[in-house]
Amino acid sequence: MGRLMSRQTRKNILAVSGLFAMGAMLVLPILTALPALAAGGASATGGPPPDVVMAQEAEGEGEAEPVEVGRDVYYKTEGPVVGMPAPKTEDTEAFYPRYNFESRVLLWVANQQHLYYGSFVLAVPIFCMCIEFAGLITKDKAMAKKYDQLAYDFIKISLTAYSLTAILGGILIFTFLTLYPAFFGYLSSIFRPVMHIYALMFVAESGTLYIYYYGWDKMKEGMLKWLHASMSVVLNVIGTVLMFLANSWIGFMMSPAGVDEQGRYLGNIWHVIHTALWNPLNVHRILGNMAFGGGVVAAYAAYRFLSAKNDEERAHYDWMGYIAMALGVAFLIPLPFAGYWLMREVYAYRQQMGITLMGGLLAWLFIIQATMIGILFLTTNYYLWQALGRMTGGERFQRYIKYFVFILVVGLLVFITPHTIVMTPAELKAMGGQQHPVLGNYGVMSAKNGGINAIIMTTIASFIWYQRGNRVPAVKWAKFGNIFLITFFVVAHLNNIWVACYGYFIPANVRIGLSIPQVAGTLSCLFIGSALNLAMLRQSRELGPIRWGQIAPRSQYALIMLATAFTWMMGLMGYIRSSVRLFWHVNEIMRDNSPWAYTHTIGFGANVISFNVLFFWITILFVFWLGALGAKKAPVPAMQPVPGGAPQPATSHY
Amino acid sequence: MTWLKLVEGYMPMQMISELGLSILVFVLVNWALHRSGMGIPKFWAGVGVFVFIQLYLKYRIYPPIPFSVRAIYGTVSACGIFMWVSGSEKEWQEFKRPILNVMDGITNFHQSVRTAMLVVIPLALGGFAYSSFLPSFEEPIELRTVHPAPPATTKVHGKTFVLQVVENPYRVNADGDYDQGYTDARIVEQAMGRLMKDVNDPNYNPWDPNADGYIKYVREGGEIFFQNCHFCHGDNLNGRGLWAYAFNPIPANFTDAGTIAQLQETFVFWRVSKGGIGLPGEGFPWASVMPPWEQHLTVDEIWKVVMFEYWHTGYYPRTWD
Repeated sequence: MGRLMSRQTRKNILAVSGLFAMGAMLVLPILTALPALAAGGASATGGPPPDVVMAQEAEGEGEAEPVEVGRDVYYKTEGPVVGMPAPKTEDTEAFYPRYNFESRVLLWVANQQHLYYGSFVLAVPIFCMCIEFAGLITKDKAMAKKYDQLAYDFIKISLTAYSLTAILGGILIFTFLTLYPAFFGYLSSIFRPVMHIYALMFVAESGTLYIYYYGWDKMKEGMLKWLHASMSVVLNVIGTVLMFLANSWIGFMMSPAGVDEQGRYLGNIWHVIHTALWNPLNVHRILGNMAFGGGVVAAYAAYRFLSAKNDEERAHYDWMGYIAMALGVAFLIPLPFAGYWLMREVYAYRQQMGITLMGGLLAWLFIIQATMIGILFLTTNYYLWQALGRMTGGERFQRYIKYFVFILVVGLLVFITPHTIVMTPAELKAMGGQQHPVLGNYGVMSAKNGGINAIIMTTIASFIWYQRGNRVPAVKWAKFGNIFLITFFVVAHLNNIWVACYGYFIPANVRIGLSIPQVAGTLSCLFIGSALNLAMLRQSRELGPIRWGQIAPRSQYALIMLATAFTWMMGLMGYIRSSVRLFWHVNEIMRDNSPWAYTHTIGFGANVISFNVLFFWITILFVFWLGALGAKKAPVPAMQPVPGGAPQPATSHY
Repeated sequence: MTWLKLVEGYMPMQMISELGLSILVFVLVNWALHRSGMGIPKFWAGVGVFVFIQLYLKYRIYPPIPFSVRAIYGTVSACGIFMWVSGSEKEWQEFKRPILNVMDGITNFHQSVRTAMLVVIPLALGGFAYSSFLPSFEEPIELRTVHPAPPATTKVHGKTFVLQVVENPYRVNADGDYDQGYTDARIVEQAMGRLMKDVNDPNYNPWDPNADGYIKYVREGGEIFFQNCHFCHGDNLNGRGLWAYAFNPIPANFTDAGTIAQLQETFVFWRVSKGGIGLPGEGFPWASVMPPWEQHLTVDEIWKVVMFEYWHTGYYPRTWD
């Protein structure tokens, strides 16, 4: 026993040391990222390196070479010019080597595939972390085991995808180097230290991920389990920093800072990273990745559900699909608000960029985006309504589905009505002008905000239904609570409609402010409504068990559709974000003089996006297949049913 | 439908309310029929609602809705109806029954329908394919960018204006300082002849012919408008001027919430100065015959006429704060 104890203690010491070592590895790149070090020894404020200063002092003031000073295009501060100007490219093989194919499309595909996998492998460990911690804190041992198994299932899928991410990253860099050498040379000259830190972080991420995965069984008890779970935190911190660094490159391309008008680097790496759009992009991408990751895992679960050979497997993957969908949607709900913030910052940065996006050249792509958002929310609602069918008592809500459908459809119709309508000249003449007197009003932001908020509030209500599916609140104040809850939602909807209408009678700048009460109403429904519902369900009467696995197959197709819509929308939004630079590699700094510096037609863009989506899903199916192959070889004990009971991965949803 | 008019100013809500009320009536009728044992089968209820929505959009809403929008609405309403009829397993089985009955051919009637379908569906698809390949003489569909992004700067009469920061020099308060709040409060609602906001000044008369400052400049802008612009943009600035229908598309309707109300004043200044010919590349197919007014008006006149357009329509230019 003593020997065992000492072995355990040794393991603990080893694990703690490993964790500290990882922490140190994490801190090291951050230290090297400090402006003073990153600028190659120059001071943080941008002066020349200390040795140069000393040499200059020794030579005397009169003989010192004057240091050229440049003015930051964004921060308007002055700094010493330490970089070369942005290359002025020409349409020649020297600047743009090419095959007999459009280089931009090749780069587009390489970039998008890397981003899909990158998003996936960044999101899934966050889910793992949440689920593993959920397993750690639950008192129900059977449930703890199932949560642990679920987290393991998640990371297993992510591991193969991780290798593919690295391979695709390599392909992306080679594509840049071979097809856009001048541009990539310029970008890497500015981001030199950041790129090295990025590479180091990638090594740290890989090491942590492999220890996390392969140490799963070795670190499954006691203190070691907690250390294992803590490792997931380290893993996610590294992953998030990696993403932030990559975002700084695209932020710089859209809204450059830290360089002068000629694109010469002014020695302050923080200015180059912290551009006008960096933070909104960071927030938007984290939420987007999470929603996307949830969608892909839900699709995996749906695929396994539909191909399941027995009830036990069906029950497990039904539950997995539900958890992944719930996590994905939890991040989908705040996503439009983060997008709103990003667009606001884009407008604030450059008015013409905002108009090109939302009202000009790319406006129709935003209508397609709105349609995809609508599909996501409608599909989520549909899945939840189907899921009510596997709960005794769920049918009492299903009779009201038609009213929810009406609100969702009307909200969506308003949300996707285009401001610039596609029509034949004959239709234009019949309409008597570019704006339709009835539908034209749906085309502006006031109505659209009303539409999307109505959709989100209805989705929250569907979640509340779902939580109540097989339960009836038994608290003393249940009646009052129900009345309050219904009144709350009705008032929030009325407030939303009223504000949407009122927006037409006030100036545009005040109208933007009206989105605050609309969003406040929606978020109140989310937080107050959900919290109240949970409080009421703490004492509740169960009408029957959840029959996991006994859900209609069309619900699983809904999950696959959800994931496909996420994938398509991500491809679309990436295209929009990149296209808004129009004919600039780096906005207003480095012009794109390749033959492909024009905006594609919507049809062509949609085809490439669809190709990317198809390619991703074919390759991810391969990843799924590999996951299933591993499962066949090494069945994990937690897959076995809970002794003495029917397969029931969870008895409640909250 | 002339007996029930679409009321100007309330049309968007009227359309949604009418659709909502109609659906509610259907629900009540169906509920009453169910109570009396004669409920409408789910399949036919779904088909009925879909057909009703399409007919409503095609024949109730005037002016006619372009096909592209009706197609979007039709697809979304079809998805909504699918969500409704398949919301629960019981309803889905009920909805599918007539379709499965026809496919299985359980009675002579169903067999005849199945045979008819086997003939009609390929013929319809063939007809669709044939008609889509027929040469068409219609003008192609244009996806016009109505409000293309403006440049960062524009040069008018030799002076460069940074559109993000430039201000209308005539949008001033009593002290002669730029003050959008002051001028916004003095906009008059044309139909009612009263101020849009309380200006807390009992002696203020927006119609005073001897008024100076902001209202004087608006009046001057009005004179410029009626000398130069109203032939196309109309007396009421609604795009229905004397010459309006000589053009396709007709001139912009400033009273619509989707035109100048959406834009910053500097955007309108740029568009008026440069006209249709000065539209950027993304303004394809440059379907605007508006002259570049910088060739006919001074910078001051352009600022004044822009201010008049906002004053007359009761809209405020978009601002950042």
